[in-house]
Amino acid sequence: MRARVALLVAWLAALAVLAAFALHSLRIGTDLRSFMPPPRTPDQKLLMEQIGEGPGTRLLLLSIDGAPEARLAGLSRGLVAKLRDDAHFEQAINGAFDASALDEKLLPYRWLLSPTLDAHALDADYLADQLGQRVEDLASPAATLLKPLLPRDPTLEVLALAQRWSPPKAPVVRDGVWFSSDGAALLLAQTRGAGFDPAAQGAAIDALDAAFRALPDAGAARLTISGPGWFTVLVNERTRGEADRIGLVSTLGFVLLLLLAYRSLPSLLLAGLPVLSGGLAGIAALALLFGSAHGITLAFGFTLLGVAQEYPIRVLSHRRAGEDALASVRALWPLLATAIVSAAIAYLAFFASGVTGLQQLAVFTIAGLLAAGLSTRYLLPRVLPARFRDVADHAWLARAVHALDVLPRPRWLPWLLALLGLAVLWRAPGPMWENDLAALTPVPQELLLRDAKLRGELGAPDVRYLLVLHAADAEGVLTASESIEPRLDALVREHVLDAAELPSRYLPSIATQRARQAKLPDRATLEQALAQAQAGADLPFRTGLFEPFVDDVETARTLEPLTPAAFAASPLGTRLATMLVAREDGWLGLATLSGVHDAAALAAFADSTHGAVRLLDLKAASESLVVAYRERILRALGLALVLLALTVVVALRSMRRAWHVLAPMSLATLLVIVVERASGLSLSLFHLVAVTLAAGLGLHYALFFERPVADPAEARRTLHATLVCVASALLVFGLQALSSLPVLRAIGLTVALGVGFHFCLSILMARARR
Amino acid sequence: MPARTPYTEVRFSGLLERPLILRGELEYLGPGRLGKRVDTPYREQTRVENGAASVQRGDRPARTFSLGQAPELEGFLRGFAALLGGDAATLAADFTLSASGDAHAWQLVLKPRDERLARRVGEIRVDGSERTPLCFVTREGDGDVAVLLVDRLAAAKLPARPSQPQLEAICRDGATP
Repeated sequence: MRARVALLVAWLAALAVLAAFALHSLRIGTDLRSFMPPPRTPDQKLLMEQIGEGPGTRLLLLSIDGAPEARLAGLSRGLVAKLRDDAHFEQAINGAFDASALDEKLLPYRWLLSPTLDAHALDADYLADQLGQRVEDLASPAATLLKPLLPRDPTLEVLALAQRWSPPKAPVVRDGVWFSSDGAALLLAQTRGAGFDPAAQGAAIDALDAAFRALPDAGAARLTISGPGWFTVLVNERTRGEADRIGLVSTLGFVLLLLLAYRSLPSLLLAGLPVLSGGLAGIAALALLFGSAHGITLAFGFTLLGVAQEYPIRVLSHRRAGEDALASVRALWPLLATAIVSAAIAYLAFFASGVTGLQQLAVFTIAGLLAAGLSTRYLLPRVLPARFRDVADHAWLARAVHALDVLPRPRWLPWLLALLGLAVLWRAPGPMWENDLAALTPVPQELLLRDAKLRGELGAPDVRYLLVLHAADAEGVLTASESIEPRLDALVREHVLDAAELPSRYLPSIATQRARQAKLPDRATLEQALAQAQAGADLPFRTGLFEPFVDDVETARTLEPLTPAAFAASPLGTRLATMLVAREDGWLGLATLSGVHDAAALAAFADSTHGAVRLLDLKAASESLVVAYRERILRALGLALVLLALTVVVALRSMRRAWHVLAPMSLATLLVIVVERASGLSLSLFHLVAVTLAAGLGLHYALFFERPVADPAEARRTLHATLVCVASALLVFGLQALSSLPVLRAIGLTVALGVGFHFCLSILMARARR
Repeated sequence: MPARTPYTEVRFSGLLERPLILRGELEYLGPGRLGKRVDTPYREQTRVENGAASVQRGDRPARTFSLGQAPELEGFLRGFAALLGGDAATLAADFTLSASGDAHAWQLVLKPRDERLARRVGEIRVDGSERTPLCFVTREGDGDVAVLLVDRLAAAKLPARPSQPQLEAICRDGATP
């Protein structure tokens, strides 16, 4: 008794140490990309960067409503001011004219940056026209705004640039900030963190909410957020919330079931220890080998580890009256060990896949299964209470075993099922595979509509399409960007798209800057042109008023053209940095597109540039990645199946016996897929993982049923153990199958169906005849 | 004051060598709403309403810009519209008022209450007679002065290059027939 308690304490202490180590050293990644195959083509590399880090995906669309317009405008200004100081955000804009957008130092550069000089020269005619307009401005309500600018910038070049740099299809400005057609203040905020990183986006959105609530007169006004980052957080929360609720209910059901089956609370609690040990061992192994793991790896891993719950159940059910728990475990062990080792060997195939996420999954699952198995073998029997009830004494079990024994088991039935299954599979409706991962974690329709509306009002870029320009250096990219500008403008006029934002909109190429520079008159010429304009149009401006203007033009004549590096320090530089990226093999320009109506016409345009410009469809590219990923999983699973079959053959030392174990398992797996496909479901990665778990469980049923037993009581115990396993699996995964979230439903439905098929087919095909 | 009145506006600005003289018609369109048409020396139609000003010149499309870019401007224009519309309550909310003279020839000095507006507009002085304002002199923060002659003063004879004292005399005398 004392030894038992001591061992239990030591076991729990070891688990505590393991838990502390695991929690301390394992970093949980949430970036989707670590769960994807390593990118190979430049397009895939770009995609990996753009998934989450592209300028479009890091954009949050904000609207504020629920207050009078003037208050909303004030809130909009207040929020932007706060977000600009917030490290979570790269930029925040609300349409307010921001004179500081162009650095004081960069002001003379306005002549090189603005396209004005492409169409006009700074001659007497142009100046006379411009100055005439300024006279009129002086008598208009805009006078107080413009007066400070006039001496230095009489052609209002700064305003022309501000207009050029504001979003291509900006919303209406009222009270100085953007407003939607239904009277909500609109803003755009770009996060620093990746768009599909729930942790980074969650932190940014929390900061955003806090900043808004801290505004002095937020009152009843409402902040509405949309955009990819917000959806990432929302879907993550919803999935976790529902998974937690289902987990709680199914855990309660599971506990009740085991209490009913074994009528012993200590046994029940102790039976949880092997799986706990397995989970912790898996996490510790990940921490040691990788240092970090993806959240999806852990979720999949714990799902697959569900197999291990069978080990203690077998031990509890198979204990014979009057026998030491250790002795009954010894009798079970060869079979249990076969199951554990074959599963562990099968998961080795995942390790060979080359995908970090899958390798982590393999490490977690193998370590977990081994730890759970070994602790079931060597620790659990030594701490189980001596008093227990032999389940073989249940009268109903004897009747059930008898019923199964007399059940007709026609040999042709499995073949017929297999044939029918293949036929149905061949004719099944819909595509075989679901390539769109987003379909499994869908965003509610009304939120998508709201997002589309906000995106339309704000003229915010489309998340799906990007134009990619490739050249040897930044100058080459900017030149290409300039050369396609007129063609894109034509496409905008033809309503192929609403707007395109090209890098050259912010920074012209050096050649263009030099060409504009060459058009700047020298001081004497400009002064003469000014005088001529004043006299010719009889303008009332004070002589010498435009001295700062003349100075600026003179300065601009000898400036070194702006390069991306020099521009980087200005507030607009960060915007340009997301559009102009250095790579090992040259430079890339990324043009975001808004309101793409005709993707085919855009693709045709890109094709006509002979590779200078490519249209990147992020959705298509990510689907191709999913396909590549699935192919690896399928290959890994195929290899796993071969390894598993070999292990079973070796362990049972008989082809015939191995066939009895493997045939029902394979047929059940086929039938699960048949039923799902026949009901129109397309299979995703989650289905594949669930099928794998179900096959692991099915292997146990078949192995134990196949075992030749002379003792009728032992047959009853086998049936009892299997029934408890099946009932608990059906309970846990059946509940998941009722979930409203497709991803949970996919796993739950597949495993529950699988468990049913595996159980029935094991009885039909594996159970030893007597 | 009638809903429409001809006007003559003379602007003295540090940016200008000689004052700018505009003639046209002012229209009071209701609380906070104002229309201003320039006939000479160029043609322009301005409308101020709902916190935005739209300016249309010649055949060019109208340009609209928000007064919110300089929220204080809105207070000024609101006050101006209130003056034209005789809306004393709105006026008192935005400005401190001091009056002098008698019913035949009165003078009202308005100083903005809003600090930001005060930086742009020092004071507005209004000369009038009976129920009719005749002359508005606006001193802007940067020293520029705009003199607006309305009603019967709009037709007052001006020299080619009027000076500020000359205009102030016209305002004073105009109120005492």
